[in-house]
Amino acid sequence: MNSPSPSARVSRRRLRIAVPALLLFTAAWANPPIPTASLQAAQQSIANAEHVEAGTHAAAELSEARAKISAAQSAVTQKKMIEAGWLADEARAEAELAVARTSLAKANAVNADMEHSNATLIDEMQRKTGDSR
Amino acid sequence: MNIHSTMMSRSLIAAAVTAALLAGCASAPTKPAGSEEVRAKLTALQGDAALATKAPVATKDAELAVTQAEIIQPDLALAAHRVYIADRKVDTAIAEAKTKAAEDQRAMLSEQGEKARLDARTHEADLAKSDAMTARAESAEQQVAATQARSDAAAAQLAANVSEQQASELQRQLEALQARPTDRGLVLTLGDTLFATGKSEIKSGATANLDRLGDFLTEYPNRTASIEGFTDSMGSEDSNQALSERRADSVKRYLIGRGVQSQRLSSSGRGENAPVADNETTAGRQQNRRVEVVISKAEGSQGAGR
Repeated sequence: MNSPSPSARVSRRRLRIAVPALLLFTAAWANPPIPTASLQAAQQSIANAEHVEAGTHAAAELSEARAKISAAQSAVTQKKMIEAGWLADEARAEAELAVARTSLAKANAVNADMEHSNATLIDEMQRKTGDSR
Repeated sequence: MNIHSTMMSRSLIAAAVTAALLAGCASAPTKPAGSEEVRAKLTALQGDAALATKAPVATKDAELAVTQAEIIQPDLALAAHRVYIADRKVDTAIAEAKTKAAEDQRAMLSEQGEKARLDARTHEADLAKSDAMTARAESAEQQVAATQARSDAAAAQLAANVSEQQASELQRQLEALQARPTDRGLVLTLGDTLFATGKSEIKSGATANLDRLGDFLTEYPNRTASIEGFTDSMGSEDSNQALSERRADSVKRYLIGRGVQSQRLSSSGRGENAPVADNETTAGRQQNRRVEVVISKAEGSQGAGR
């Protein structure tokens, strides 16, 4: 038996590396992974929004976030993983906006209440002053 | 032949590349749709002095997202996704900045509220103090009023006493004058001792009663006096009439001389026509020779007092 030439050995070694890589690449291209992290992050953000009562103060944004996460899950079912990832990210951004706008609405309500309280106090005092003078 | 074919292939590739470059130069790539609007919104936030520094982390996230959204992207769906994300990040940054601004404003509102409450308490304390002072003043006024009322009551009592005293004094004086009440008023009869027979001059030393009458009329200026002269039936009627008038006038003059105003006095003669006793007897004629003074209250005056 003749031993293989050095150039043939190099070729075989390259083949042993290239084939699995090619197979892996093909498999990845053919079937992208489920965007689990994006989906989980979006669901967590929606849960946060619900927790802070965004349904009362930012109903449109919360509703949109729910629609987006629902669309993302549908896309997963349809094996449209890239689209599913985008939709999940959009759902998260929408839910975070809902939380931010809820905080703003609550802060404004607190301030309005304080302003009203101050105004009532001042009015009452001025009325008493008017009565007594 | 092989060399020639290789050269042809290279020429074709070069031509294709040139054509692609030319095509690229002919239509300049534009930023993804909507990215400019998102950038404008972010720029407005960053330029707002009241909000720019309120939400640094969210604003930085928004900046990164907008930069991503502005990358020219042949995949339109990816470009639209990035613009969507950037838009929401910018909106989130704006909301967070406004929330922080509202929270910062709260401290000022709280301070205002404290000041208003303090002012209200101060005002209430002032009012209470003022009310107490008013109450004290009212109490003092009431005391003064009560004192005044007591004083008025005492004065009224005194006046009543004085009035009683005056009434009793009047009664005493009238008794002293021997005046008698009649339908015409109090009638004081001055007997014939005032005048000498046939004369109308008042005799000196016989004026005690007249003096008391003068004092009475001076003391009670609301009284008037009607002086009437009478005679007995001796002599002619005309001479008796004239004598009675002169005697009445004499009494009137005497009273004026005692300080009684003339308008309070009237005089008249009744002659022999109103005897009170029998002219046939000496005693009766003596009674008929008289002067009567009818004392009455002046019109509009009340009571016995002055």
